[in-house]
Amino acid sequence: MRVLVANRGEIALRIIRACHEEGLEAVAVYSDADRLSPHVRAADLALPLGPAAPSASYLRIDRLLDAARQSGATAIHPGYGFLAERAAFATAVEQAGLVFVGPPASAIQAMGDKTEARQRMQAAGVPIVPGLTVPVAEAAAARRHAAELGYPVLVKAAAGGGGKGMRLVVEPAELDMALAAARSEAEKAFGDSSVYLEKYLERPRHVEIQVLADHQRIVHLGERECSIQRRHQKLVEEAPSRAVTPLLRERMGQAAVQAAAAVGYRSAGTCEFLVTQDGRFYFLEMNTRIQVEHPVTEMVTGVDLVREQLRIARGLPMRVPQGPLVPRGWALECRITSEDPANGFLPAAGRIQYLQVPTGPGVRWDGGIEAGQEIALHYDSLLGKVIVWAPDRAAAIDRMRRALRELIIAGVATNQGFHLRLLDDPDFQAAEIDSQFLERRADLLAPPPAAPVREVLAVVAALVEEEYRQARRPQIAADGSPTGWTRAARAEGLR
Amino acid sequence: MRYYVTVGDVDLTVDLDADQVRVGERTALARLEAIPGTPLRQLQLDQQFRTAVVERTAEGGWLIGIDGARYEVLVVDERTRHLQGLTQSGGQRTGSGSLRAPMPGLVVRVLAQPGHRVVQGQPLVVLEAMKMENELRAGSAAVVGEVLVSPGQAVEKGQLLIRFSELPPLT
Repeated sequence: MRVLVANRGEIALRIIRACHEEGLEAVAVYSDADRLSPHVRAADLALPLGPAAPSASYLRIDRLLDAARQSGATAIHPGYGFLAERAAFATAVEQAGLVFVGPPASAIQAMGDKTEARQRMQAAGVPIVPGLTVPVAEAAAARRHAAELGYPVLVKAAAGGGGKGMRLVVEPAELDMALAAARSEAEKAFGDSSVYLEKYLERPRHVEIQVLADHQRIVHLGERECSIQRRHQKLVEEAPSRAVTPLLRERMGQAAVQAAAAVGYRSAGTCEFLVTQDGRFYFLEMNTRIQVEHPVTEMVTGVDLVREQLRIARGLPMRVPQGPLVPRGWALECRITSEDPANGFLPAAGRIQYLQVPTGPGVRWDGGIEAGQEIALHYDSLLGKVIVWAPDRAAAIDRMRRALRELIIAGVATNQGFHLRLLDDPDFQAAEIDSQFLERRADLLAPPPAAPVREVLAVVAALVEEEYRQARRPQIAADGSPTGWTRAARAEGLR
Repeated sequence: MRYYVTVGDVDLTVDLDADQVRVGERTALARLEAIPGTPLRQLQLDQQFRTAVVERTAEGGWLIGIDGARYEVLVVDERTRHLQGLTQSGGQRTGSGSLRAPMPGLVVRVLAQPGHRVVQGQPLVVLEAMKMENELRAGSAAVVGEVLVSPGQAVEKGQLLIRFSELPPLT
């Protein structure tokens, strides 16, 4: 089997690595902006897709199928994002006589429409977050439903995922604008502007269950906690979760397996739940793809999820033992993004001048960048992920701190400093977290440096300023007396 | 040579004398050497060695990356500091009289019109970057003077989007 990887960045590299370990050939695709990106060289073959804009490259089903034909690929792995959860893509791949490395199109369809998924889960007896199970058409109806649910409510894209097309509405006056914003964002991200309403739960934890299904059976691989989010974008994930007891793991695991069975699932998938402070859990949605945070599950279960996806796609049984799962140790993941904490976490652009990735015991770097690479604003801001494993949570935090201090990304602003501050926070260390944690803790986002760091920074600044001035200082004339030009230049240098 | 360094909202004085540096109460041997073939520096403070990444900003400050985090730092010498003190003593109000794009992106919606009175935190312009919509909000109460962009327009980082005609009264 030769596998075309219909993605870019870290996940493209991750899949290419899995292909090679499975003894399969990998075919990369690239936009004009990615011609020199690392995934292009990591693959056995690579084919161009078109201009940088995703709509002209990574979202072009016709060009991806052409690339598969030209390269002789027999399977397509979609990764995450882009076309990963478009049922039309899975269908087109199958109709072209190729294998889609993922669930059947019908399962993507059923789970992709969040309102339909909510109906199905309700029917299957899986608890869902209170709210609508059909899209809301007009603002007037939305106002009525929101009042019934009670504010605050969430406006969510029916075709949504990853926080796109989602808006929190605290009071009625904000509803109209939130609807417009969510619709417009949903239209752009998913090509579907339908939205629905959900009750906004107070301080829930975000806990998700990994499922894996081959042609014979469906198993769950335990939970990941992803409560550390900013504007619904996950930043830190861990496995297992402090909030999950073995009993709760089994109950949530069973619910996730049921959810997967209800849509005829195959391959890797994730059921997202909200867990409230009293230990109740509610189905949020199922992500019918490999997820960004899949490595933490791999670290505590020893299962390589991407390799298993490839095996299942070939019709082979998955290599996961029968019987209940006991996670081993603790894994943490920090997403390193090109978002500038000093600039309100807005995406930053720039060229990677230097890259040093963390290594040593228990550390894994899943990245998609290298020195010299231009980070533009066409794509997702994820640069890479630092993942650590240790025997327990406290040791994992210590190891992550050590790893993050080793990581050097020069040339583009990243959120690395934020992660280090989070690891030092007593509430995070005590696992007293929920999905609204960062909204309350704006102080962690970009505080001024602590006193000892301040002094070191001041010394570096003075030394580098001195060096800069020395380099610009004009030469004195041979007789030692400065000319008019050098005097003028010197005055400039002093400015 | 004496430098005045601003880190966050704290001012520090650094004295350099050959290899010796004094900052606050501390005096140390200090060196900052380029690591050949890389854009990195090695900082030495007595027996302590660190990797530092330094970049000059457009505003003439420094971005310094050390121990996994990155900070913006401003440095001036004694003479510049003296001059700054003179020019700033006139008491000119330096409140933000405009809204600028904090990043490059595409204007999706403009929510303010000339003549509108806006309150602090009110969304004024929606800017799309990396497929996310970002609401740019008023930093303080003001009256919108001029709107310089329209939906569909691509803007650069720092580009002027809205000019305010009237700033809130000084309190």
